Amino acid sequence: MKALAFASRNMKELLRDMISYIFCLGLPIVMLIVMTLINRSIPQMEGAPQVFNIEKLTPAIAIFAMTFLMLFVCIRVSSDRSSAFLTRLYASPMKSSDFIVGYIVPFAVTGVFQTVITYFCGEMIALIVNGESLPVGYMLLSIPLLIPSIVLFIGIGIIFGTFFNAKAAPGLCSAVITAVAILGGIWMDIDTMGDGWKTVCSCLPFYHSVQYARYAMVGNFDDMLTPLLICTAFAVVIFTVSVMAFSFKMKSDKK
Amino acid sequence: MKTAIKTVDLTKKFGDKTAVNHMNLEIYEGEIFGLLGVNGAGKTTTIRMLTGLSAVTDGDAYVFDLDIKKDLQKIKSLINVSTQETAVAENLTVKENLKFIADIYGISDEAAKTSMQNIISSLELGEVQNQKAKTLSGGWQRRLSIAMALITNPKIIFLDEPTLGLDVLARRELWKVVQSLKGKVTVILTTHYLEEVEALCDRIAVMTNGKIKALGTADELKKSVGKDSLEDAFVEIVEN
Repeated sequence: MKALAFASRNMKELLRDMISYIFCLGLPIVMLIVMTLINRSIPQMEGAPQVFNIEKLTPAIAIFAMTFLMLFVCIRVSSDRSSAFLTRLYASPMKSSDFIVGYIVPFAVTGVFQTVITYFCGEMIALIVNGESLPVGYMLLSIPLLIPSIVLFIGIGIIFGTFFNAKAAPGLCSAVITAVAILGGIWMDIDTMGDGWKTVCSCLPFYHSVQYARYAMVGNFDDMLTPLLICTAFAVVIFTVSVMAFSFKMKSDKK
Repeated sequence: MKTAIKTVDLTKKFGDKTAVNHMNLEIYEGEIFGLLGVNGAGKTTTIRMLTGLSAVTDGDAYVFDLDIKKDLQKIKSLINVSTQETAVAENLTVKENLKFIADIYGISDEAAKTSMQNIISSLELGEVQNQKAKTLSGGWQRRLSIAMALITNPKIIFLDEPTLGLDVLARRELWKVVQSLKGKVTVILTTHYLEEVEALCDRIAVMTNGKIKALGTADELKKSVGKDSLEDAFVEIVEN
């Protein structure tokens, strides 16, 4: 009950902030449209990477959109920590688990909703531009499969929000957003960039998130399994660290 | 008179610095108790320990006979706090802020509704009840912050410099609110305004360097140092 009350408060704070609509919903849609237009305007050469094709672009943008979710979690946690509001809540009967659940639930729900909207726009663009539908069945099936990625990015947001203040934390999130764009293979085909670069990308979860989202979109479940498992493992570790970090900080604030 | 709070050699250290030094104090149920002291005297640290916001270094404290070291979770449901800074959720309305606090204290919807109506009425928040907290002036926000501390019907309320930064009229309005609690709720008030303490508090403790230098009613404190005003008495107590 306490956790849900806190989750409800966090959801209201998110929904009543216009900036969150621009970043979490507007930007992914704009990126889908812009990249599709760019893709149409460049000559299609045989053997060239197809990362801007709508069936590859849509899941990649869905993953990229989650980085903005991470940004907003981070801002929420760091803002709360720097205000007297959290002090008031620390003096209440709320436990650290209530705080964690209260932060995660609204952003996870938003993440799923954001993915649905992104996929819906991807489908619309596919119908309008290509005249053919995306594999809707696989697309719907892949939405719950993206939950590990949502948890991963929310976890990173909580860690940054816990350890850094409201001024520093968003800057660090911006660095992760850039890293996801470059190392996740959203805008470029990592396979064409050499083994060294691919090794670096493979050591981080972002590339695997994008990979399995793309495989899930087209129903290639055999190839999807490995990156899904890697991403889930990262998500479990990051989420555990975020819970421990928040609990640790909560205790150290009371010293 | 029943004891609401009892401290036994309560001590708080930050490294080498002792913020609260073996404090022994008894506060009675239903009284308005003032904690006075210059900056850094240990007032806020005392409140932080009694509300579970800071760990106790040494000694102990009891809230309605519950040990703050062992029964903190039980104690938390009996108390509430209004911090020095206004502590409200900015994008929530006045009513939503009150409901949120009621929910996290596990108060039933029905009880919360009744309590909310009473608080909104007694603190005259009716005209702003549907406004978001961030659109309220400083005075209204402070009033909301205190309403959030009262919505849970606490047995003890800690008001840490509740009128800081308020204009004279807003301050007088809040005095009325605090006075209305007399006898019903135990109030622990810290402030730098001596006229506030004199107007509101049943008893006053003067703190310096983490220790209680004097304790009694305003008249007793003045009498103890032979001064006519509480301000003169306070200066005398603190400097000697």
